Amino acid sequence: MQTFRMNESLLPSFMESLKRWGRLVAPVERAPGVFSLEEIDDVARARPDALRTIVPFKKLLLKPRFAMLEGVAGGRVAASDDNFGGPVVYLGAHACDIHAVKILDLIFLSDFVDPYYKRNREQLTIVGFGCFPDEKCFCDSMGTGTAEDGFDLFLTPLEGRFLVTVASARGDEIVCALPDLFEAATRQDRSDYLARLRRRESSFTTSIDIDDLPYVLELKKDDPVWEELGKKCLCCGSCSMVCPTCTCFNVMDEVPQEGTLRRVRTWDACLYANYALVAGGHNFRAARADRVRNRYYHKQEAFVREFGKPSCVGCGRCIDNCPTGINVVEVFRHVRGEL
Amino acid sequence: MSTPIPAPQAVRAAVRTVPTGDNPYLPAPARVMRVAELTPDVRLFDLRFHAPALAERFTFRPGQFVELSVLGVGEGPFSLPSSPTRRGIVQLGIRRVGTLTDYLFDHVVEGDFVGLRGPFGNGFPVELFEGRDVLLVAGGLGMVPLRGLLQYLIDLRDRFRRVLLLYGTRTPDQVLFRDELESMARRGDAEILLSVDSTQGKPWAGRVGVVTELLDQVSFDVTSTYAVACGPPVFYKFMLEKLVKAGFAKDRIFLSLERRMECGVGKCGHCAVGYTFTCLHGPVFSYWDAINLPELIYT
Repeated sequence: MQTFRMNESLLPSFMESLKRWGRLVAPVERAPGVFSLEEIDDVARARPDALRTIVPFKKLLLKPRFAMLEGVAGGRVAASDDNFGGPVVYLGAHACDIHAVKILDLIFLSDFVDPYYKRNREQLTIVGFGCFPDEKCFCDSMGTGTAEDGFDLFLTPLEGRFLVTVASARGDEIVCALPDLFEAATRQDRSDYLARLRRRESSFTTSIDIDDLPYVLELKKDDPVWEELGKKCLCCGSCSMVCPTCTCFNVMDEVPQEGTLRRVRTWDACLYANYALVAGGHNFRAARADRVRNRYYHKQEAFVREFGKPSCVGCGRCIDNCPTGINVVEVFRHVRGEL
Repeated sequence: MSTPIPAPQAVRAAVRTVPTGDNPYLPAPARVMRVAELTPDVRLFDLRFHAPALAERFTFRPGQFVELSVLGVGEGPFSLPSSPTRRGIVQLGIRRVGTLTDYLFDHVVEGDFVGLRGPFGNGFPVELFEGRDVLLVAGGLGMVPLRGLLQYLIDLRDRFRRVLLLYGTRTPDQVLFRDELESMARRGDAEILLSVDSTQGKPWAGRVGVVTELLDQVSFDVTSTYAVACGPPVFYKFMLEKLVKAGFAKDRIFLSLERRMECGVGKCGHCAVGYTFTCLHGPVFSYWDAINLPELIYT
């Protein structure tokens, strides 16, 4: 792995230069402590250090709402470019965000490839940024606390400088194109970096035991905890909207007064009441408890069986955004009988 | 003759595409060649892909499904009631049950175009049935996918031993493919027993009663028979238990399930049950697989 160092004072210049590789997208502080991912014009607004944006990066790969198909009634139907965003540089990805994109790749680039995802993904440059956990972060116990690949460049803040890690040919291209910004990392940089990693590891206050979780869930399908959770959950879908790996979508046809018909794809959530409703009126998950259980099983049991790892990256967004205070870590402790 | 259908494809083992195109969400135009009324609320649509090469190339496994779409109205999954041994025409047996099907019944006539994409799903494990007896049990509209399987078994008749069909509907006028089934029985291609819940005063030579009772009318060697069931949730609830009681091992019973298969390619999430996506791992499951997914049958 190639490593470089960049002086802290060069960050604005670096961010400005990144625009050469695409539209620069980074966290912006919208209200005190509240961040959202936005396109950056003035780099002074960019806050790559922000711990957590409300909505994760998935919104730039698959828009919350876009036309998949366009056509005229009874005539030709063609794929739409509506979702295509052109080249994008995503600055401020933390390890959990990078693992989330790797999970999205598993979903959308395996088996039947999703062309809408693929097109944006191929033009995406990821520049990571080192973070420190708060009380909602549990990436460390999900195995997503560090990333060795899945990004192009990664900036880890050290005293007065960054250690810059290169993990792709595109990352290397950026470093080579900006010789004034980077210099070779020193022995001191690397040992400071490792010390920071260790400090970070020991600062997690929230953890989850996933070792035998799929097995425990398998055994506890009928546990009363799901009924209790069903009573507490409003099924508002906030957790799914802010989850960096929730990717369910709904498809609807849009018929304008005149002009082109559009087949529109919108974000959806398995917690919504009509999610499993079929024509004829049968709803396969009419009970809230069943929908709540389905969501947690999908993340921690089903995904493990399908892809060999859970689809939760421990980012803490669902904890941050649940209006009734449901905490995923506590849910699983409850299921294990620890609470 | 080698197997005339594509081999079963492993889920998520490799990148794959469907015959209708690289974009799995983009339907290919198909012309409605013929519309036949099977019952007052079920019609059989004969479709042919507009692109001649696709029309000739398109094949599938019995039990797979396609997504039919009319842009501006909607899209939905439909099982295939015809056999891949009969190329060129894709048949769909459709019940009027919602927005899209209302449109198909009220506005789509012969010569019109609709969109089709697919085929999706796993299909029945027909290779497993070769050299064995096959017992098909259908309830109501469950006859639609089983008719495709039945045609396949009959078209390759010497590969299979006994072929039995037990089929129940509510009333005599709801029996799908009645003439065809009767002539199949007359020719001795298959043993076919029909039942209705009630005759409603109409002439009826078959049995009156629930479809599960037909199982008591036939005898078979459960050690060399595979059972295939398809019907509404309540049908599964009683029929599967009855098959097990009759001595079938749970992994020798197969069923085809209905779910909200919006995308067909394991992305949208709507048909997820436990670790499975009905559209990828199903819609055909063994009963053994199904009982380990509690939401799959009993809801």
